[in-house]
Amino acid sequence: MKASLLRWSAWAPGLDSAAAWEAWAKSPAPLPATGAPDAKFLPAMLRRRCTPLTRTMLTAAFGAAEPDELARLRTVFSSRHGSINESIGLLENVVRREKLSPATFSHTVHNAQAGLFSIAAGNRAASSSLSAQEDSWTAAWLEALCFLERDPSEPVLVVIGDVPLADTFAPLVAEAATPYALAVQIAAPGSGPGLDLELASQGRTGTLLPPPWPPALEFLRWWLSGDESLEQPNRANRARWTRV
Amino acid sequence: MSRPPCRLTALGQVSALGGALEEVSARLAAGDATRLTLNESLVPERSLWLGAVNETLPEIPPNLERFACRNNRLALAALEAIRGEVSAAIARFGQGRVGVVVGTSTSGVGDAEAAIAHRERTGVLAHEFHYDQLEFGGLARFVAEAAGARGPAYTLSTACSSGARALASARSLLRLGLCDAVISGAADSLCGLTTNGFAALGALSAGVTNPFSRNRDGLTLGEAGVLFLVTREPGGIQLLGVGDSSEAHHMSAPDPEGRGAETAMQGALADAGLTPADIAYLNLHGTGTPQNDAMESAAVARVLGSELPCSSTKPLVGHTLGAAGAIEAAFCWLVLAGLRGGEAALPPHVWDGARDLELAPIRLTEKGARAVFGPRSAVMTSSFGFGGNNCTLILGRSDSP
Repeated sequence: MKASLLRWSAWAPGLDSAAAWEAWAKSPAPLPATGAPDAKFLPAMLRRRCTPLTRTMLTAAFGAAEPDELARLRTVFSSRHGSINESIGLLENVVRREKLSPATFSHTVHNAQAGLFSIAAGNRAASSSLSAQEDSWTAAWLEALCFLERDPSEPVLVVIGDVPLADTFAPLVAEAATPYALAVQIAAPGSGPGLDLELASQGRTGTLLPPPWPPALEFLRWWLSGDESLEQPNRANRARWTRV
Repeated sequence: MSRPPCRLTALGQVSALGGALEEVSARLAAGDATRLTLNESLVPERSLWLGAVNETLPEIPPNLERFACRNNRLALAALEAIRGEVSAAIARFGQGRVGVVVGTSTSGVGDAEAAIAHRERTGVLAHEFHYDQLEFGGLARFVAEAAGARGPAYTLSTACSSGARALASARSLLRLGLCDAVISGAADSLCGLTTNGFAALGALSAGVTNPFSRNRDGLTLGEAGVLFLVTREPGGIQLLGVGDSSEAHHMSAPDPEGRGAETAMQGALADAGLTPADIAYLNLHGTGTPQNDAMESAAVARVLGSELPCSSTKPLVGHTLGAAGAIEAAFCWLVLAGLRGGEAALPPHVWDGARDLELAPIRLTEKGARAVFGPRSAVMTSSFGFGGNNCTLILGRSDSP
């Protein structure tokens, strides 16, 4: 399935410029486990309501589009864990039969980052939020293709990000835990640098191990590398990305 | 003009109204609000009416034990009801050509509460708890593995519009040619987090929810599992239109003027190539909160006028949150499936009948309501979620009997 990638922006601890990411892509290494951007571009009132994940994802989002695009483009937000770290406190409140904070509750929906982006950017366009375990990057791309199927005339802003799970659940999940976000503008084929995503239905095999950073950043490393293609293992299939 | 078809080929569902489709159709048409139950344990010092599913749910198979939570059992109940059609689709198209797009707002968080309660007592999480139960993506993975589907599988979670949005994306995956069949719908389960969260927001009604009444005081929560088999085929009941919008307004309150709701409804009409006169019935979001019903009636009156028969089915099954858009699409599907001689029974709006003169006038259905369907007639359902995420669907029947 072909599409164009018009523009990207990413954030991880110590990697906050295109030049820094290009250097990382040349000699990639595992990323730090802690850190969050200050997201100074957000009004102070709004910034106070933003969790580290929200600040991270909005930093990437605002870096990948002009102000008029931020207010206009459809968006897809993807996160494996979303606001689960904030939900842990609420779950402890529930089991201790304590009152919940209404603001915390309404900001732990999985589309909290999308909702706060919509408010911060004044964006009233269609928006989707999703999760697909280890496959959350491929799924975000597919969901953006769904928006392009409905209307190919405008790009879609895709934002993916996560922060490491808190101690309650972290031991249950084997993953490269780093705070990060990647935002890309995806458009119909022929409107910019092109790539093709193919899904092969054979499952994960022992020969295709994921690298020690999130799949979305492996994609970015490949995109910046100039290599012809990239294969990524998914739970039930393989994603094969090719430059076209 | 001709549009690629998107057939809602088979429906499996379970809610407070039950699981068997004939039974649910009869209870819908009768406006049977007796299925709600009173709960004294979920919220401290408070009794709550809830749309709980009281039938026995299927057990998670042993090979999928790590997904064993109530939310997935609700999804499995829906899947088992369409197992024959799903298996036939997999045999016909191949495992890799069958995808899964589902919605949830809770995933298995109810079981995570139990795991954390266990940790409070013993210092460790319950050993039967797996992260696959809690993470949102686990629902899609569970449905895919339980069905034997190996195409794209992901979970949408945009609060109360999740289930509607899942069906919209299922249609796109078919039109893109990425899948030949998609298992799509939603599951959402009652738990301490949502009941106490909505209680903290002051959003729960004292009694049963009473949408659009001047006495309305909040919502009644519920749970459901709903799955459609969606195929790229003509005939039967079709998903004709999708419209969606964001609010850019507030995390937990809608734009009082209902502009986002209006955009979603207008978008669905335009996408379906239909006019307001083609809509024969509207299933309202109708949560029973003062803000939702005020903005929704205003938006409905602007887009569809004041004569269109409409009802909220939340007094019958509760607000099933992430599953609301899917269960209400299921109820629209049942209305269309019940078409005989160009007429169909509509779900009545069950309330105290106390019209709120502050609200824009809309025509709420009474018991025994029927609608006449012409060749272009269709039905609409809207869902408006936290974070300002709105989605409207239009369903129609192409083989009008």
